[in-house]
Amino acid sequence: MLSSALEELRGIRLLIVEPVSAENLARNDGTGGGKALIVADHLGPGLGQMIAFTEGSEASNPYWPKQVPVDAYCALIVNTLDYRPPPVAKGNS
Amino acid sequence: MFLARIDGTMTSTVKHETLDGACLLVGQRLDANRQPTGEPIVMVDQLGATRGSVVLVSTDGDIQRKLRGNNCPARFTVVGLVDFVAGVAV
Repeated sequence: MLSSALEELRGIRLLIVEPVSAENLARNDGTGGGKALIVADHLGPGLGQMIAFTEGSEASNPYWPKQVPVDAYCALIVNTLDYRPPPVAKGNS
Repeated sequence: MFLARIDGTMTSTVKHETLDGACLLVGQRLDANRQPTGEPIVMVDQLGATRGSVVLVSTDGDIQRKLRGNNCPARFTVVGLVDFVAGVAV
């Protein structure tokens, strides 16, 4: 919650999220492992739910034609994820 | 643009309205030695890439804005299915 913020940010919910590393995603144990960041959100995911977010200029596209200073935006809440990377070859780091 | 390996698929009911009907794939960027690097990314695909595919990915969100409307937040789009890199089949 922000008591004082730019006019454009009023009414936008902000979430603290943690990107999931490839190893943790393969384990699917709910841990993140990446560097936490703040994303703007209009979908309302619950605590611990997996989402996908956009970073960069595309993060402010949903507010078009308004220009809103958000760096990251929650684009979807994940229902099912079928993630099966090939096993890492031995000797490679 | 960069190369990525497709590692999985994703479904989502609650999503930005412009993403309705989008085919969502999860993959990982590949470095110069074609080893996966960085965190997994979600991309929009319309070419029919499957698990294990090596694809060319564009980070230009304007592709999706043209297809799905100006307020579409999608960033990564599969723009090509890769057959060979430097003469080596992938």
